[in-house]
Amino acid sequence: MFKTGLKRDANTAVMLHKTGPQVAQELHACIGCNECLHACPAVTASVTIDVLNNETLSGPISAPVARFARACYQCGACVAPCPVGLHRDAMMMWLKVRLLRSGWGE
Amino acid sequence: MSSGLTGQNDKLSTIDSADIVIIGNGIAGQTAAIEARRLAPDKSIVMITEQNHPTINTPALKQFAIGKLTREQLLAFPAGTERAQRIHVVNARVKEIHVQGNYVYLAGGRGFGYRSLLIATGSAPTGLPASLPGRDFDGVLTLHRLNDYLDLRRRLSGVDEAVVIGGGPHAVETVMSLLYWGVDVHWLIRSETFLPRMLDRPASDMVIERIRRAGASVYTETEVMGIVGRVGVVAGVVTNQHQLLPCQLVLVCTGTTPVATLANHCDLPMQHKKGILVDNQLRTSVRNVYAAGDVAALQDPQTGRYAPRAQWYAAVLQGRTVAAAMAGSEQHEEGFGVPWHATRLGELSMLTVGNPLQWLDPATILTDSGRGSYRRISIIDDRLVGYLSLGPTQPDGLAIKRLIDEGLSIRNIKKELLKGEFDARKYFSRQRTYAAQHMVSTGKLPSAVPAQTTSRTRPQVHPLLETGPLASPGTKSVYTQARVEVNTDPALNAPVHRGYTSANTGAKVPEQPTLITGDNWLLAEPARPASIAVDDTQSPRTTDTLQESESIPSESEALFFEGGIAPHQEIGSPADRPRVIESTLVPLLEDAPRSPSGSLWSYSAKLPALKARRGDSQFITSNPMHTVKQILARPRGQQSTGFTVASAGEPERPTRTYPSSSLWSYTDKHAAVKKGS
Repeated sequence: MFKTGLKRDANTAVMLHKTGPQVAQELHACIGCNECLHACPAVTASVTIDVLNNETLSGPISAPVARFARACYQCGACVAPCPVGLHRDAMMMWLKVRLLRSGWGE
Repeated sequence: MSSGLTGQNDKLSTIDSADIVIIGNGIAGQTAAIEARRLAPDKSIVMITEQNHPTINTPALKQFAIGKLTREQLLAFPAGTERAQRIHVVNARVKEIHVQGNYVYLAGGRGFGYRSLLIATGSAPTGLPASLPGRDFDGVLTLHRLNDYLDLRRRLSGVDEAVVIGGGPHAVETVMSLLYWGVDVHWLIRSETFLPRMLDRPASDMVIERIRRAGASVYTETEVMGIVGRVGVVAGVVTNQHQLLPCQLVLVCTGTTPVATLANHCDLPMQHKKGILVDNQLRTSVRNVYAAGDVAALQDPQTGRYAPRAQWYAAVLQGRTVAAAMAGSEQHEEGFGVPWHATRLGELSMLTVGNPLQWLDPATILTDSGRGSYRRISIIDDRLVGYLSLGPTQPDGLAIKRLIDEGLSIRNIKKELLKGEFDARKYFSRQRTYAAQHMVSTGKLPSAVPAQTTSRTRPQVHPLLETGPLASPGTKSVYTQARVEVNTDPALNAPVHRGYTSANTGAKVPEQPTLITGDNWLLAEPARPASIAVDDTQSPRTTDTLQESESIPSESEALFFEGGIAPHQEIGSPADRPRVIESTLVPLLEDAPRSPSGSLWSYSAKLPALKARRGDSQFITSNPMHTVKQILARPRGQQSTGFTVASAGEPERPTRTYPSSSLWSYTDKHAAVKKGS
């Protein structure tokens, strides 16, 4: 389920996600238009963008967000619709790692 | 009045007071309040605002207006944030600032003391000229606040034709929102081109052409001379081209003006001119008074001019910076860099970084057009100074802003930038990777085990739960230890993943020609020769590499979490890895079909979800390209109001999905009625 997080390039085997400061910067630039969530094939629960942004980098992770983070399979469908060119997949990966460290929110 | 309060200033208990007082609860004010609370847990923070609702995502208001978002989804912060953060909200209007007495004077005759004051009053719509006939008719809306969009939302159901006035992104977004609703839109632009200060002629033509194709009628060099009404309700608009455009709604999107009235109502002179002038720490010319958000005029590092940056990200950044200044913290002082503006204009994504049009003389200007996109980059001495992009996809604008702000050399990525294929993740992490490789190649990291021993026979994918940091308590403790090692690594900014690097790449690294030393990789030229000595004390740890890579399974995860990138990914091929540890690093099968973009959904890179939901394509296909002549040549009766005529010739309305049908479900009813009638 989580095995698709690898992004490849044609010539090099690179999986690169954004660093912490970059993700924080993108979170600050998020205008909350919800286009990423509209495009998301994995989102099920009523996750709102304010809560999601708020919990991505720090603080406790609420149950709906944890569920969403587990369901996210890093398909990248959220990236193209973003009007300001942010990378929700990188933010979700961040959330996944946080969740992983806290025991998957169980 | 003021003298009496001034006398009481020393005993602040006599009037309400707070350490940090913030005027306005827009995004700048709210961000500043939350950030100040984080930096100064003990200070009292008060927000004084006239708004009767919490901070909302103002750029998302148009999605709200067309029913794609509910009211709850507009919130910028979770409900109850103010209470949780102990930010007191006072609903009042600030009339005067008394700097000498350190208090503000509220409407209603109260004073409120402060130690540091933030003016975040935002901006107000410019609107139509006061002398314009008919500007007060019912149906002339200025879109700026939540109430305006609620008003628009209420009226949309009864509108067949609308006129949008204004030549900025705000106007384009409004036009597209109306088109989404199946309204005939006349878009009036005063100048000859769209956004003349940000876009050049080809870019502007491209935007206008796209909007035309989406179904709007675009009138350039056209201004409103007057608004025609019938019993107080808008019936049409008269332009300076002697046209009468019938409509039921006039939407004014003519830009915003900073609300700097408080600068005039301050007992000490506060410098302001189209916004309150501030320095890089957002201090105004008056002590202990700061300004942030749309109201603050910042200096552009490239041009030296002061101008407000009325954008969401700028406001957030300013809120955070000013909070640090007000709380006495020294965290954010690096300045704001060049302006950055990214938005979506219909199906086009627009990005401007820096001042792409203002570097005519010394700069090299490269343009690229084709495949429905346009790019213009300005370069001075291998440094990017301006970037303009229009196209179906949005480049990583923040990364490009970083290229400009930090003055990084773009010699090797010119083409990618020009083609819009700049991969920031790869670029920035490769710089880090170079640093790490340099450690590996010049240091004493031994090549312990030949990497090409058992590559194919080894399982490439290990179950995540077996190898994660929480698989067993023992692993967890090792994991934290590894993390400490990473953080205290003296030689590198970018942490080095020793287990992988030494095991895999001891012999292979010299293939990479350019290396950058760790500490100054940001500023170094890529071709700089490497000379850095690895601390000898690190060698013992790295000798027994394979064992270490087995025993610290999740160091890569730690690196990722700490903001570092494990360098092995680029160095060894996946087959050479002794063990794949963590979900982010699991290799795909080599023969799997893969597109350059690398995502699972790349086969549908043409925005599948958007098309399915918005139904934009319907408008494009069924609505022929409108030109001014066509519109004018149409018989008057056809474009005038009347349900029967409109419903016969119009394209089918797109079916919409509402996240929750509670708020706006009546709109479905309207559509049904309209079709049936």
